[in-house]
Amino acid sequence: LSELTVLESLTAAMADAMEDDESVVVLGEDVGVSGGIFRATQGLQQRFGPQRVIDTPLDEKGIAAHAVGMALYGMRPIVEIQFSGFIHDAFEQIMFCASKYRWMTGGEYSCPMVVRAPSYGGIKGGFWHSQSPEAYFTHGGGIKVLTPTTPDDCYHSLLAAIADPDPVLVIEPVPLYRSLKGHVERDRRPLELGRSRVAREGRDVTVLTWGPQVLRATEAAEALAADGIEVEVLDLLSLVPLDLDAIVASVQRTGRVLVLHEAARTGGFGAELAALVQQHAFGYLYAPIERVTGHDVPYNFSTGDEYYRPDVLRITAGITRLMEFEF
Amino acid sequence: MTTPAPKFAGAPRQVVEPPLARAEEFGIHQRLTRDGEVIGDDPTIDVAVARRIYETMVTTRLLDERGWELQRSGRVEFWIPMRGQEASHVASTAAYDPEDWLFIASREAGAMLWRGAPLVQLFAQIFGRSAEPLRGRRLPLLFGDRSRFVVPCTTQVGAYIPHAAGAAWAAKLQGHEKAFIVFFGDGATSRGEFHSALNFAGVHRPPILFFCQNNGWAVSTPNSVQTATTTFAEKAAGYGLPGVRVDGNDFLALWETTRRLRERSLTEGPTLVESVTYRQGFHTSSDNPDLYRTNEEAEAWAQWDPIHRARRFLERHDAWDADLEEALVSTKRAEIRDAIHAAEALPKPDPSDQFFDVLATPDRALREQLAQLTDDLKGAAR
Repeated sequence: LSELTVLESLTAAMADAMEDDESVVVLGEDVGVSGGIFRATQGLQQRFGPQRVIDTPLDEKGIAAHAVGMALYGMRPIVEIQFSGFIHDAFEQIMFCASKYRWMTGGEYSCPMVVRAPSYGGIKGGFWHSQSPEAYFTHGGGIKVLTPTTPDDCYHSLLAAIADPDPVLVIEPVPLYRSLKGHVERDRRPLELGRSRVAREGRDVTVLTWGPQVLRATEAAEALAADGIEVEVLDLLSLVPLDLDAIVASVQRTGRVLVLHEAARTGGFGAELAALVQQHAFGYLYAPIERVTGHDVPYNFSTGDEYYRPDVLRITAGITRLMEFEF
Repeated sequence: MTTPAPKFAGAPRQVVEPPLARAEEFGIHQRLTRDGEVIGDDPTIDVAVARRIYETMVTTRLLDERGWELQRSGRVEFWIPMRGQEASHVASTAAYDPEDWLFIASREAGAMLWRGAPLVQLFAQIFGRSAEPLRGRRLPLLFGDRSRFVVPCTTQVGAYIPHAAGAAWAAKLQGHEKAFIVFFGDGATSRGEFHSALNFAGVHRPPILFFCQNNGWAVSTPNSVQTATTTFAEKAAGYGLPGVRVDGNDFLALWETTRRLRERSLTEGPTLVESVTYRQGFHTSSDNPDLYRTNEEAEAWAQWDPIHRARRFLERHDAWDADLEEALVSTKRAEIRDAIHAAEALPKPDPSDQFFDVLATPDRALREQLAQLTDDLKGAAR
């Protein structure tokens, strides 16, 4: 057991996987000599060599597309997208190539590749450096979408992504890279995908969330506990596959649901969660499902971190609306 | 007397003599005259290999002709003609070793034949039957076969060029002695992935040939609307790579050039090859070339037909005659007819098939959607 930051846990997962499997390679912009702009791959090129930790041209589409080819050939590439705000250039490669090869070839070929996408706001990065693109990649199939938060979950999620036979997108919590530290069971065992984690237990309201909002929801929950409102926070860990059983079980206990995400509201993954909850737990709901999310506006440099991202104030307000709702 | 209105609006579309007629002037490597006479040194190609290339080209054309009829009579839903491009893809495929990887586009049935795919397998794919390697999930003629090291294209033109380069790069990183070739058209050079692949390849030197089949037209878009460069091969210079132009209707020039550049790719890295050819037919069965090109142009190119030139080469080397031709055509026609009958009789995929191979193991969402569809279909059956 060791105490690692989120960033160190990700580096540890890549190092362990590369040590265990020679077909694992890392490629991306600045990932080699400098160890990546966030230093997530720090020391890996020195340790595994420039043939396995590869500095590429500045071209997200090209990086993803070459990783597709490497994966087709049988390697296990890990792509670092410098910021997830730049992932959209690679969208077609990820969603219409990597995640479709298995299906379109009747299972003859597949693309076991990992795309690491540093995401979320909170670093004063403005629009392109504060993105939460996860919902785009849950639409259309053929790819898994992981959203770990804690160092332990990040370590085991990335190991699971690398071991997975399909393409996997890992949405990483940039604002927690260095600020969140925790115990990491460095056992080289991949996370079992499709299982969520109860970050906080409660009987009154279920908050469905992922990423840094898990911490913010927990913070709001602690404050509300003083008023006698017990909030359950479910850290979904992965959106595809989704732990629907745990979601439904929690909603059946609490009867109130807050869907919480940083990404913009319309067409966000929260809409999918709301649809699933009403389909599977309609009779248990005391109030309409509440959404606290980013807005349908670009993430603003000067006001974004405070007024775009949901914060304790807005989460608390959302929970209060749920508690005060009357038919 | 009035001047007739120009047939086509927009970009000028003049009938031009095929550049193959003045190959040297256009920097096109050519080894055969229009009538199959060798230009320059005696060829080193084994006559048996030349014959097999020719036979594969003829089979490809017969398959294409029959397939077009099947589409026009409604038995096949879609067709992508390959007439005129038989040498371009068959001779280049023939220059590769059987376990080298091919990434094909959509007019390369001959590559599958060269690699030994049975006709019934090809027609099973064409009819969308599940008894073919890709389980009949794709449009007719988008072939692939892992056991023959043939990777099918993703349908976005050119998007797969870096997939081939990435696979070649992986082979190089793993120390495998394996060569790669990727086929794409002139239109694909406008895509970002063409740039990505050649740019990466200039730096990382994977063992691959970027094989651009310049057939003159991307649907209705001529070369002059696709790019301002005079050739496609010259684009290689922007990436620190060599680019060559080869007569794409000249099996000998194609085979020799591809063979040489394949060897080179294993030690020194990639080359961009521009195979100057011509799509004699429609873009697809949904196209109408009358809207954008003249019959005269197509006829001028037909004078440079790759099959005629290959046949004349063989005849000049006493390796072919009218009897052999007749035997080949009648045998292949019969084989194609039998393959069509056999393939058409195969079962279509079950509706449940679409839920498999999305992920290695269907997740809960997929399982529930399959169960729902199955239930709904039972209702429809009642």
